This record gives sequence, C-alpha cells and structure tokens, in this order.
Amino acid sequence: MLEFESAYRKPGNTLLGLLFGRDPFDFWAGRLYVGLWGAVSVGAAFLGTIYLFLAVGQYGDWDLWRANIHAPFRAFGLHPAPFDQGGAWQIVVACATVAFIAWALREVDICRKLEMGFHVPIMFSLAISAWVVLQIIRPIWMGCWCEGFDLSFTGHLTWVSNTGFRYMNFYLNPFHALGVLGFFTTAMILAMHGSAILGIYNTDKDPVTEEANADNFWRDYVGYSIGEYGIHFLGFWLAVFTLVVSDLCILLSGTVFTDWVQFWQWHLPWISQ
Amino acid sequence: MATVIAPLPPVQIPADSELDHSDPAGIRLGFPFRIELLGRLGLDTQFGTVWLGTWGLLSVMLGGMAALVYVWAGLTLTGGDMWTFIREFANVQLLPPNGLGAAPSLAEGGFWQIEMLLLAFSTICWAGRCYERLVRYSWRPYLLFAWLSAMLLTATIFVFRPLLMGTWSEAPALGWLGDLDWAQNFSVLWGNLYYNPWHMLAIFFLFGSTMLWGMHGATILATAAEGSHHEAAEIKDMHSGSHKAMLFWRWTMAWNANPKTIHDWIWWYSVGVVLASAIGIISTGTVTTDWYVWGVDHGIVEQYGPMSRDKINLLPNAKPLDLTVVGLPAPPNTTAGANAAQGAAK
Repeated sequence: MLEFESAYRKPGNTLLGLLFGRDPFDFWAGRLYVGLWGAVSVGAAFLGTIYLFLAVGQYGDWDLWRANIHAPFRAFGLHPAPFDQGGAWQIVVACATVAFIAWALREVDICRKLEMGFHVPIMFSLAISAWVVLQIIRPIWMGCWCEGFDLSFTGHLTWVSNTGFRYMNFYLNPFHALGVLGFFTTAMILAMHGSAILGIYNTDKDPVTEEANADNFWRDYVGYSIGEYGIHFLGFWLAVFTLVVSDLCILLSGTVFTDWVQFWQWHLPWISQ
Repeated sequence: MATVIAPLPPVQIPADSELDHSDPAGIRLGFPFRIELLGRLGLDTQFGTVWLGTWGLLSVMLGGMAALVYVWAGLTLTGGDMWTFIREFANVQLLPPNGLGAAPSLAEGGFWQIEMLLLAFSTICWAGRCYERLVRYSWRPYLLFAWLSAMLLTATIFVFRPLLMGTWSEAPALGWLGDLDWAQNFSVLWGNLYYNPWHMLAIFFLFGSTMLWGMHGATILATAAEGSHHEAAEIKDMHSGSHKAMLFWRWTMAWNANPKTIHDWIWWYSVGVVLASAIGIISTGTVTTDWYVWGVDHGIVEQYGPMSRDKINLLPNAKPLDLTVVGLPAPPNTTAGANAAQGAAK
C-alpha cells in the first residue's frame, strides 16, 4: 500500500451496494479493487481466453504473430457458426465485449469510492465503442459476422489493409482523414504538454511561479497559453473527437458509402466543369 | 506529504535584461486581449502577446514566402486562372523532380525544390526560436528535442530517403491530396507497409498517444476539483487530487504513474511516434523492397497465396548513392542489387 492509501480505502459506495444495500464483492485483492464488475470482467476474460486457446489449438499455428481466430465465413451470415468456422470468434468477441463493459463499470465503482469525476470510465466507454462498432454494430448492419476482423496480430493488419482497398482508397474517406488528424494532433499536444511539465518541475523557484511562467512561455512562443487545467481539457476532448470520427470512419464504410473515390465525384451545380 | 521526486539541481534564472535586449527583434507583438467565453470552459482567456525574436521573424518570413510561392505555383499549374486554382485547390500538386539534380523547369519540380528549401529553413529557424525561448525561461530542453524529432521524420521523408533512393521523386508531392496519394502509393509500391515492424511500432505509439491523452486528460479533469492540474506543484508536494489520480489506476490495473512519471510516459510515447516512423521510412526500399515478402520470410504473417519475389524495377532512372564506398552493401532497388540480394537469400 502507498503510505497515504489506507485513508482512501473505505468500504461501501458501490453500484451493487447502491441497488441492494450490501455488496459481497466490496474488497481489494492486493493492489487491485475487485468489486462485482471486477469479478464479472475477470470471469468473462478467463472464459474468452480458454476459448481463444482452444481455437488457436484447432488451427495449430501457435506463433504469437500469426495465431489467428478467424471471423465466421460469409455463408453463416448473422447465424451462429460451427466452432472451427467462426464459432470460436463469436464466443471470444462476446466474452471480450462483456469483459470490457464490466471493466468500465468497475471503473465507475472506483470513481465513486474515490469521490472523483467519471471522466475515465466515459473515455474508456468511447474506446469500447470502437470495438463494438467494428465487431458488432457494423457486422449486423452489413448482415454478416464475417465483416468483423480476425483476432490475430498480423491477421487484423491484413483485415485493415483489405478493408481500405475494398472501398477503393481509404485515405479519401473524410472521417478517416479527420481521425488521422486527431491522432497526430493528440500526439503533438501530448509532446508539448509533456515537454512543459518535464521542463519546469523541481526548480529552485516556487512551482506556482513556475506555472505562471509557463503561461508566459507559451504566449511568447505561439501567442496563447491554454492553462494547466485547459491543456487537460483540450487533450480529453481531442481524444473524444478522435474516437468519435474513427467510429464514423468505419461505420459508414460499406454501409452508406462503398467507394470513397466516387464519393468526391460531385460538383456544385452552378460551377461549370 | 514529503517530496516524491528527488529534485534535480536548481537551474539559474537569467535576469530579464540579460537576454531580452540582446535580440534586435526582441519585442513582443500586439496587445493582450481576452475572450471571456473560453473561461466558461476552464480555458485561459488571454491571447497575446507573442514574442517576435530574430528566429521567429525569419521562420515566419520563410513560411510566408513558401505560402506565396505555393499560390504562384498553383496559379501557374492551373493556367493562371485564380478561380480554377481555388476550385482545384485540393488537386493541385507540386511534384518533385526526377533524379537528384536541379529541376529542369519550375513546373517539372522547380516549384517543389523552392518550396522545400523555404520550408526546411523555416522549420530550422523555428527550432532556433524554440531554443532561445527555452533558454530565456530556463526550461529543460524537452520541447526542443520533441521538435527536432518531428524535424527528423520530415527530413527522413523529404531528404534522407530520396537521397538514398537516388531521386527526389521518392518524396511526397506538396498539395492537399499529394501527401495522401504518396502515403497510399508508398504502401502499395513497397509491398504493404502494414507488415513493416517499425510502422507497427509507430502506430502503437500513435494510438498509444491518443490513449494516454484519454487516460491522463480524463484523470486530471476527474480530480481537478482537488487541484491535481497544478502539476509542477503536485510533483513537489502531493495533495488529495494526485492521491486519488494515482490510487484510481493502482486499484484499476495494479500499477500507477505519479504526477512526474506520467509526463515521462507521454513525452516518450509522442516522440516514439516520429522516431519509429523515421526508421520505418528510411528502411523502406532500402533494407527491403517488399514488406509482405519480408513478413512471410520472417514468419510474422501467413502466406495467403502465390507470392512473387520478382520485384519489378520501380525506379529505372534512379541512380542511388554508391554505399559500397563506405562499406555498406548496394541498395537492392537497382536491378543488379535486387538480383544480388535474391542470390544471397537463396
């Protein structure tokens, strides 16, 4: 335990306790908080991992890079598939989705215990939304579980590559472009924030003076300082933006638009070509 | 609460008079004005002033000239009609010339070379501006090294790799769609970049950077009511906001950073993007001409079907630098080099 930790480890204030008055899962295991949702999450992850190993064993390629849980074949549509023809994928995806969502709810419990905001579980839910859109919502919209990606290291890279070419040129997908913009901008802002804090911590000056100086630095350098609260606000919302446009990027491909080159072949009616 | 991090030796703060007035362009431009609406979101409301400085002046002038040359080039390429230029703005591309010499004409790479020179020096001058502001404020030079890392990736794409490949035409064209087309074609020409391990690592850092902003930004916003956003102060002396931020992750994933080390993580993740990218770019077409074949040979990807090792010569007119004089093997993108490499592989 950290030296200040015991003051914060208090029983109660969990979602289960809120609903039923008592919570038998309200305890820690070593450093980790357990809770009902921790038990659900670990259980689902354990089950999924067992099926994952069974499926990999069926294909027999145990190499970490190539081991592959193939998405169901097209013939099965949205129906359950035999275990060796995509059924394993369906079970593993279901287990993983349950594990992810339970993990987010476990974060809610921890936030409630620490009496802090729910920003982390909200952000994690958006990350889960990318998984759910890719593996559940879009396959259902397209009418086939085969639209999900293979669970594999290089296998999912092959899926990304093929999906890009299937819709002609993914670089011309405007939501893909916004997503790339979001990823690179978060990386740049992250470098600026990290550089600022690592640049000014533990000097011989009073840290409050140092932080005020940091505002002056950014005003000198680029004309505006967003402030020490503001930079985290910006980073949070840039990450939200990136995840939302990434969701749209893949959700609209194949469902609404099937050719991102053709997508741009329009002109305003009053402009002659 | 005791100090968490062992303090570094204190840095000396130069007096205002020592540096400001040695710079003939050392003035602050404009007057500060406020946009109060931003304060409603918790953002700083003050805009300006901005430091001019010799390096900043040079950087902005060179960048401005690059913008003017772009308009000149775009107008030239679209037949001098401003309306056509505006309408076709996304399609205008300044293409790099063939070979490593000077371009035969403005339209055949000359515009690209002028732009590259202006932008290169503008970027270098901005590094000078970064350096002199860091010195003025006595910051440790993390920001300069982050900027230099970004410059390294740009220079790798636009200068170092074209030099190794023997033609400027290996660099991206300048234009809205120019870089998108280059990225698409680059992957296709060199056998699918997804199987380039450095590209994998770069994407890991890139997505990781967004993830870390999600985690760090969310953690600080969630505990900002207790002052965790005063990070320099919290590194010296932690309070309940940082306690909660640390305990949240410790209870969630059995491990946590602290107010100082989270910034080590985020700095290295963001810099890792450009460093890994630079290695991935410089090795494409030089170390291997086909990342899919490379991946199959190294056992990281299934062989999905028939696979050709007969690489067509993509750059018949390129004259790569003769690396044998410095003891390096000939690059395999020439016909002779490719045959030699194949012979060695067999």
